[in-house]
Amino acid sequence: MIRHLFTLMWNRRRANALLVVEIFLAFVVLFAVGTIGTNLWANYRQPLGFDYAQVWQLNFTTGAQPRTEQFGTQRQLMAELRANPQVAGAALTAGNTPFSFNDSQTRLDFVEPHDSTRRPSGPINTYYIGPELRAVMNLELVAGRWFGPADAVQGAHVPVVIDERLQRAMYPDGRSALNGLLAGNNEPSRRVIGVVRAYRTDGELQEPLPSMFEAILPNDTTFLAQSVLLRVKPGSGAALEKQLTDDVRRIGPGWTGTIRTLTDMHTVQMKMRLTKPLLLGSMSVFLLLNVALGLFGVLWLNISRRRGELGVRRAMGATAGGISRQVLGEILVLTTFGLALGLLVAVQFPLLGVQNVRPDIYFTAMLLAAGALYLLATVCALYPSRLAAGIQPAVALREE
Amino acid sequence: MTNLFTSATDSFQSQPATAPATGAGRAVLQLTGIEKVYQTRTIETVALNHVNLTINQGEFVSVMGPSGCGKSTLLSIMGLLDEPTSGTLELDGRPVQSYSDKELARLRNHKIGFVFQSYHLINDLSVLDNVELPLLYRSGVGGRQRRQRAYAALEKVGLGARTGHFPSQLSGGQRQRVAIARALAGEPEIILADEPTGNLDSVMGEEIMDLLLTLNREQGTTIVMVTHDEQQALKTQRLIRFFDGSQVS
Repeated sequence: MIRHLFTLMWNRRRANALLVVEIFLAFVVLFAVGTIGTNLWANYRQPLGFDYAQVWQLNFTTGAQPRTEQFGTQRQLMAELRANPQVAGAALTAGNTPFSFNDSQTRLDFVEPHDSTRRPSGPINTYYIGPELRAVMNLELVAGRWFGPADAVQGAHVPVVIDERLQRAMYPDGRSALNGLLAGNNEPSRRVIGVVRAYRTDGELQEPLPSMFEAILPNDTTFLAQSVLLRVKPGSGAALEKQLTDDVRRIGPGWTGTIRTLTDMHTVQMKMRLTKPLLLGSMSVFLLLNVALGLFGVLWLNISRRRGELGVRRAMGATAGGISRQVLGEILVLTTFGLALGLLVAVQFPLLGVQNVRPDIYFTAMLLAAGALYLLATVCALYPSRLAAGIQPAVALREE
Repeated sequence: MTNLFTSATDSFQSQPATAPATGAGRAVLQLTGIEKVYQTRTIETVALNHVNLTINQGEFVSVMGPSGCGKSTLLSIMGLLDEPTSGTLELDGRPVQSYSDKELARLRNHKIGFVFQSYHLINDLSVLDNVELPLLYRSGVGGRQRRQRAYAALEKVGLGARTGHFPSQLSGGQRQRVAIARALAGEPEIILADEPTGNLDSVMGEEIMDLLLTLNREQGTTIVMVTHDEQQALKTQRLIRFFDGSQVS
């Protein structure tokens, strides 16, 4: 029967061409939306690497204070912040803080330890941070060590902590990256001293990039970090916020400070990241609705036009259930034709590595889109197939 | 219930054949007190009025009567495509009224072949695929066997060379021969033909009639044929006349 259905639908391909094209286009749109959705979901399932509840971000501006004085004021500010009984920890950081939409990327070469050959890396998120960041953000160290007092002394190599993603990029064979070297042009090379699970400041929905931390040296007078991540004690609220911004103004002449909670920043970022996919999703729902109505209408019309044929089939021995299954089978065969075309297009994406999306995400999206269209076709065919099953063969044959 | 039609006579038993019977045997179809009433909100139409009829194995019976006298309804009921309003239909001695849709479909598939005035071929299927149709609904017949039997049936009707053609590429006579081949492919005991020559010219009509006669004579297929052509009807073993839903001779 399956062969018969394929033969019948193939012979009717001209009459059903528009329907097949409609299914093909619906597949393409669903595949695109499915790829975006699957990609977001795959990103969401990966560890964020830090705990942002009870963490505030304090940004300060230095006004007209001479630069040479700014470092001293910053140290005084940090000391006062740490001394505040409501503050559990404070870490200086560059502006690429979690959920801030800021990033700082670099490209380095991976240096092979045995022959010193270099292999270029992709973009790496680089974080200049105070050593207290690990405690403030509850970073999980999985190998090696975090920054310590010994790292405050400038050595031959800059000590860096990397995340597991960068470790995998450096050594795809699964070796440990500890003591591995990352070299740049006209700058000191970095030596890996530790590995953390992750630090995804771009949020859960963004494709994570490899990350690397460099400690801000206590006596550094070249780079003035103007953000502080503060872990505050539970129950802290507006009063502490006011107190801290007042402290900034009091300590630094002409300085101003603003505070936002990472929870609020996270909410804003999630909303922004989800807006486009949700819009696309809504549009695809409307598209599917149109496809569904189209399928339903065409099927209904087909049943009316084919009463004679269905009557003959009953006369030849088809049961009412068999007719119902045939109508359902026909639409599934048409859907298969449309999907075959769609899959031909879709499979090019993983083959060509479009957008650097993982192939398994493309294949999952193909499966989801195909499944959704088969489900849609089945639902749309249910009522017309019941109509077809209810046709009285004698009446249908007489009408012919 | 208003009976708009009155029967000219009451029911009749099977009449003697107008042509010599060739091996008429057991009753394959037995209709007893068959009535068929079509009812709408405002009107009630009696299509068949208390019909008693026996069709024996190997008979070639023709049914004549004016348009609207119930001939096609009779064929539909005989072919298990329609249910009588009252009365009993027995196929091979077994009443079929209580049969489920599935059982009726199985009986139609195994026992009965249909030939229609307007052929009722599926235009989007090749001749061979059309002829395979009854076997498609029969379990236990594989694809190769279906093809072989469809080829054999087409050979019988002289269309072995047209298997790949589509109905639209054939003449009316050829289409009807395909329809007959389709009826034959399932090797049914009974062929019910509803005006099989009605859409054909006299030469084509003769061809089809000869084919049906040959089938009946050589294979012993029981045939019930509705026709308006007296000459063709006289070639069959028995002629039954209908008027206003009742059998009159």
